[in-house]
Amino acid sequence: MATTSVTKKKPYLQTVLFGILSLASYIALFAHEEWVTDTFTRGGYYVVYPMVTAFWFSFIHGAFGSNLLSTLGLEAKVAKKK
Amino acid sequence: MRFLSALVLTLFLFLSLATAAFAGGGGPSKNFTKGVFIEIDRTAGTAVFQASDSEVSTTLKLGKEVDADNISLDEKVMVTLQEKEDGQYAVKVETMFLDLSMSKFITLMVVGLVGGMLSGFIGSGGAFVLTPSMMSLGVPGAIAVASNMCHKFPKALVGTYKRFKYGQVDIKLGLVMAFSAIFGVQIGIMIQKAILNAWGNAGSNLYVSVVFVIVLVVVGGYVLRDAVRLAKHDADDKTSPLALKLQQLNIPPMMHFKTAGVRISAWVTLPLGLATGMLAATIAVGGFIGVPGMIYVVGASAVVASATELLIAFVMGTWGSIQWGLSGLIDIRLTLLILSTSLIGVQLGALGTTYVKDYAIKLVMAAVMLIVAISRGAKIPGYLADLGLIEPLGAAMDSVLNFVSFWALVAALGTAGVIITASMTIGMMKARKEEKALAAEEA
Repeated sequence: MATTSVTKKKPYLQTVLFGILSLASYIALFAHEEWVTDTFTRGGYYVVYPMVTAFWFSFIHGAFGSNLLSTLGLEAKVAKKK
Repeated sequence: MRFLSALVLTLFLFLSLATAAFAGGGGPSKNFTKGVFIEIDRTAGTAVFQASDSEVSTTLKLGKEVDADNISLDEKVMVTLQEKEDGQYAVKVETMFLDLSMSKFITLMVVGLVGGMLSGFIGSGGAFVLTPSMMSLGVPGAIAVASNMCHKFPKALVGTYKRFKYGQVDIKLGLVMAFSAIFGVQIGIMIQKAILNAWGNAGSNLYVSVVFVIVLVVVGGYVLRDAVRLAKHDADDKTSPLALKLQQLNIPPMMHFKTAGVRISAWVTLPLGLATGMLAATIAVGGFIGVPGMIYVVGASAVVASATELLIAFVMGTWGSIQWGLSGLIDIRLTLLILSTSLIGVQLGALGTTYVKDYAIKLVMAAVMLIVAISRGAKIPGYLADLGLIEPLGAAMDSVLNFVSFWALVAALGTAGVIITASMTIGMMKARKEEKALAAEEA
């Protein structure tokens, strides 16, 4: 369960770090667009490539998004439900 | 009793996975091949083709549907094959990877953001507009479905995590629904195949559209009525009379869903998951059935049902992505472009649910379902004409209906975006006011 405190510090550092990591991953992938599209669509065992990539981005870009929203002051209301 | 329900669940899990493996899951049909054209002989109507999964090249006959002048050599394409009397023909050639211009980048990111918000808020959504949007940008249908599916599970994962933190996800209910739905998907696919064999493509399209419109109008209408009733009294959700009756059915094994606060027979939940899966296989928007099902049949609140749907979407999305990925149809660039904004949107939608009452979630869900039903309804005259049941539509009528169909989807997404943002902003302002009042009182 989340601990929500009113005077929580804004996660500027995490936002920047995850932002850089995410942006670097995007740049790396799009810079090798041709190799990526070819390898990722070979089918069979190569299914691992798109699956792992999707998980990777869900973690780092998801963490960036979460920190970004906190930095912008967009936080959930203290849990209504038990 | 606990042991019995665990046993039933385990049996169901194995049965569903075994059937899914046997039936090949919900992946693409097998009548296509991928590769590059090396040489085209226009006079003979043939082309030398190098398939990606083969060492040797083959000569393909080009069907009259294919314009040889539009085929570029040495570019990866997807070729749809059809068996005709005198052999196999290539009847459709589509470029696999479209060039992404800035406008396409932006379109995908905007749709991703609002689609993500919708998912975070009502548990599903986005896919119904993302697939057609991608196709209108020139992405082949199968690639659009696959890339969209691969975007669904990371988004659902992040959404589930967030809403779990808010104490809204019933993991047990989600897993029971997801695995029984996988089983239901297999039955749905079998029905689809039987209809395709009996009535062909147009018949199958008509069947899907009619089921889609009927289900969405009936369920969406019911949800809307309920939302309006609750909104009038600004009341919190009450368990539906049907769910209350079903909860009283004491047929073992009984299942206890803690977060949902419900004790109900497995004989209710498992068929519900099954039906959700069957409909998901038919109309491709399982969440539109799963969420109302969990609310009105099981008796969960709209907040818990929509949060739990994200877990179901994660399980089913992962399963679906593996199926499509095995056929090598995921264009990861499209997936990641949508994710760049939808991973933020889904968290925004998720936190929005903590500021609103249950009826806001129901209102968004009903609005989306009803507008999407209009979109699909506009396709029905075309399918009726294809089957020869009505006079052929003129070109003008055809383009008007297509216009209505596409823009209704955009309107659905836009409406959802507006209602979510407005109700969230109002909720946040209210919460700030309350906080200030409380602080003033304490001071």
